[in-house]
Amino acid sequence: MVSASMYIAQDKLTTTLDELAKKFELWVPVAAMEKQRVVRFMPYQAGMEPVLAEQSGLGPKNALLPQVETLLKFSYRKDVDDPGQKRLQLEAPEPPKQALIFGARPCDARGFLIFDQVFSHGPYVDDIYTARRETTLIATLVCLDEDAACFCSSVGSGPADMEGSDLRLTPIAGGYVVEALNDRAQPVMEVLAEPASEIQLAAARKVQEEAAQRRVGGADLTQSRASFLKRFEDMGYWREMVSQCLSCGICTYVCPTCYCFSITDEMKEDRGERIRSWDSCMFYTYTAEASGHNPRPTRLERYRNRVGHKFGYFPEKYQGMIACCGCGRCIRGCPVSIDIRRVAENLKESSDACA
Amino acid sequence: MHVLSPYRPELATIIEVIQETHNIKTFRVVLDDPEKMRTFNFRPGQVGQLSVFGVGESTFVINSPPTRMDYLQFSVMRVGEVTQKLHQLNKGDQVGIRAPLGNGFAYEDMRGKDILFVGGGIGMAPLRTLLLYMLDNRDDYGNITVIYGARSPLDLCYRYEFDEWRAGGVDLILTVDAEFPGWQERVGFVPTVLSEESPTPFNKIALVCGPPIMIKFVLYSLRELGFEDQQIVTTLEKRMKCGVGICGRCNIGSKYVCVDGPVFTCEQLREMVNEL
Amino acid sequence: MKTSLTTELHEKIREVFTELELMIGWEAGFDALHTTPVFIRSADDVGRLTWGLLCAQNLTTYLGKDLTLMAAARESNKKIGICVKGCDSRSIVGLIQDRLIERDRLYIIGLPCQGVIDWKKVAARMPISGISSVRIAGQEVIIEGAAGERRFDLQELLARRCLRCLYPNPLISDCVVGETVAPRVKKQDVHQDVAKIEGLSLQDRLAFWQQELDRCLRCYACRNACPFCICQDRCIAETRDPKWLSQYVKLPEKFLFHFIHAMHLAGRCTECGECERVCPMDIPVTLIKEELNKITAELLDYEAGLDVNAVPPLVTFNPSETGL
Repeated sequence: MVSASMYIAQDKLTTTLDELAKKFELWVPVAAMEKQRVVRFMPYQAGMEPVLAEQSGLGPKNALLPQVETLLKFSYRKDVDDPGQKRLQLEAPEPPKQALIFGARPCDARGFLIFDQVFSHGPYVDDIYTARRETTLIATLVCLDEDAACFCSSVGSGPADMEGSDLRLTPIAGGYVVEALNDRAQPVMEVLAEPASEIQLAAARKVQEEAAQRRVGGADLTQSRASFLKRFEDMGYWREMVSQCLSCGICTYVCPTCYCFSITDEMKEDRGERIRSWDSCMFYTYTAEASGHNPRPTRLERYRNRVGHKFGYFPEKYQGMIACCGCGRCIRGCPVSIDIRRVAENLKESSDACA
Repeated sequence: MHVLSPYRPELATIIEVIQETHNIKTFRVVLDDPEKMRTFNFRPGQVGQLSVFGVGESTFVINSPPTRMDYLQFSVMRVGEVTQKLHQLNKGDQVGIRAPLGNGFAYEDMRGKDILFVGGGIGMAPLRTLLLYMLDNRDDYGNITVIYGARSPLDLCYRYEFDEWRAGGVDLILTVDAEFPGWQERVGFVPTVLSEESPTPFNKIALVCGPPIMIKFVLYSLRELGFEDQQIVTTLEKRMKCGVGICGRCNIGSKYVCVDGPVFTCEQLREMVNEL
Repeated sequence: MKTSLTTELHEKIREVFTELELMIGWEAGFDALHTTPVFIRSADDVGRLTWGLLCAQNLTTYLGKDLTLMAAARESNKKIGICVKGCDSRSIVGLIQDRLIERDRLYIIGLPCQGVIDWKKVAARMPISGISSVRIAGQEVIIEGAAGERRFDLQELLARRCLRCLYPNPLISDCVVGETVAPRVKKQDVHQDVAKIEGLSLQDRLAFWQQELDRCLRCYACRNACPFCICQDRCIAETRDPKWLSQYVKLPEKFLFHFIHAMHLAGRCTECGECERVCPMDIPVTLIKEELNKITAELLDYEAGLDVNAVPPLVTFNPSETGL
């Protein structure tokens, strides 16, 4: 497939984004205005300075799976035939707009590949997610910015992995080379003004090759299912590994592959919405039953389920695909610095040798 | 469900409400769209998510069999937010339904066998669906025995149907936990009565549903009597939201109770991780 | 980085380990900038413990929430060992005041503290990828990074809570490891950060909190890190019956959660600052509790976590009280 490569100079980045924002709902990583540290993906507005030289704290998950999303609207209206009675009326939510995620990393794109399995491949198809997915393009950076918490290569990905992305952004001196990876990317390419020169292309190839050869992370974690199942009943192991867990929702919220949600009705007077909102398997309420029984009463069972889902149950259902992209956000974000790599790596030791 | 969105309920209207016990009501509903009602089909044991818009949804087995489609029936115990609101609804009120969901009973594989139903309290609800289906297809099944118990006679559901069941060829053994004025039938916990009855496991399927403690002791009794795990069928309950295997929460290991269940054999349960 | 203090800590703990059901402390984390809490159950593992300016977590949060700890201690008739900095020891006093833990079941190792560094402040000053060691030398922090050694003033890197800390030395302990430390701030300056907000007009104050809380994700890390939020599994922010908050993540819900949470801590919060440290969105939530504590001190002449025998005034009723 031949497609012209384009170039965005660093000092033309914001004007380019202004142009793209006319055509797309544009998601870019920005630092919170008041605090330079926290980088999160937000809908672009003129004046925003994107932060592309480091990984975001909160990725572009919101673009495809908003933290709060309307599933349907309902209202009670007077029955024309019997004005004393009220009848229900349901309305579908607004359809999604054309969107572009600019500045994702391979780990972010991998998260969406995991979502696709769950939301779009059946047996029941989530029409709302699927519609958003179809109208959203992802422009992914070749990643040069790994730190001590990154481990994408350990879970089957890598800093140059473009699976699931529509455009590749390669950082070179002075700017970014932009390449379309499929036909869907054409509407973005059409907006870009400057073709990439031979020298720029060559520089980009060099960056891509180096990134493709770089291994980010330690031990391979893709074959952990059997050892997880062996460790399931070993509560001493879970106590040793995650007694310090606080049961908050940070790891699941910042994780690109976590998708669990709750469904609640929110109503005022006669009108309301059924919304879905991010939930967390780490919360006590996640599995708390009306009877009072909770199959996962403590953080130990809940964390065990989290590791089991990512490294065991999900790959069992989806041809070995690991529900973890190795981005390290859970490790960096965890208030008590629990390292999921350590929990997964030590599964395979014999039960009395955990250290 | 055949609609575009798995999250969108069909609207339905309540045509009858029956007070079964002090905290259980049975609702009979009809889908507002007559064409959808006419073409609605399901397997005994499949469930529906009932919506009380503004409050939420809750999961209930479709309590009537597909052979009797004048209405869809759901028996509801009042335990929480949604069921509390449901219990306040009357004939003529609307609800939402997302159904059929779940796997249902493997009734085809039960043909030619003798059937033993063991139910406690509201646990009779899913069993009733299959029981009536079998009565409506009586020749396909062998002897049918029902052991049904509750705390007191006032806690038994479907009391108005017991004669019909017996007339249909069911050996119905009723029991309550303690003596009660006017009660002529058995007295004793369901697992005890089961042991006393001592049914043979030969060519038999046992379907068990009720409070967790009852299920635990009934399974013990059945195994003592020689029943094997693939002969014992039960239904699981979990906190549910989407009901379609997407939101993640009702899993036991890699199985989702909403899609792979709620009906499981004991053999399947034994292969799952220990997290009930 | 093993220091002489760490060695002394190990020795002290080994001396008493047979009396302990377990010891809660810190060990090295996933990189040179982080530690992680650890529950030591065997004397052989005592060597894993570390102590220094990376030991930010307040370990007392486990005491009131993990009921298996005290239960295990009662059953074996042993004690729960715990390492506490000055601020953490105040939490222990507060937990005793609230009758949430039993003093006799604790073996408290008190650690006079020079402060803990905020790793985000390091990240703002140098690349953190490739940092191999962090150590303190006097009032300087020496960090070995990918491009060589960098030196910073300790003051530059300290967490905000440490810059306003009046209680660096343990207020309650069974043994102390380390020399007494002088407070970094004077009592009259302790509310400077809050005073800045108070100095804003009401409109600007509202705008400030709207801007900050807009970033809140309702992850509940602040609530769960707080030693006093023992009702976290049944929190009003999550219950649907009765329903206090909707599931929206908009300003009204976030305001409600944060201000109700702060009100529940009024007169109880010991300003350990964990809520602010754990926030993934850098929201300065401890400020809200500092304001309420300032009001409690002014009106009721009371500060939580200083005296085990003091009864928190907001859980008492004195008919002869005036001026309210």
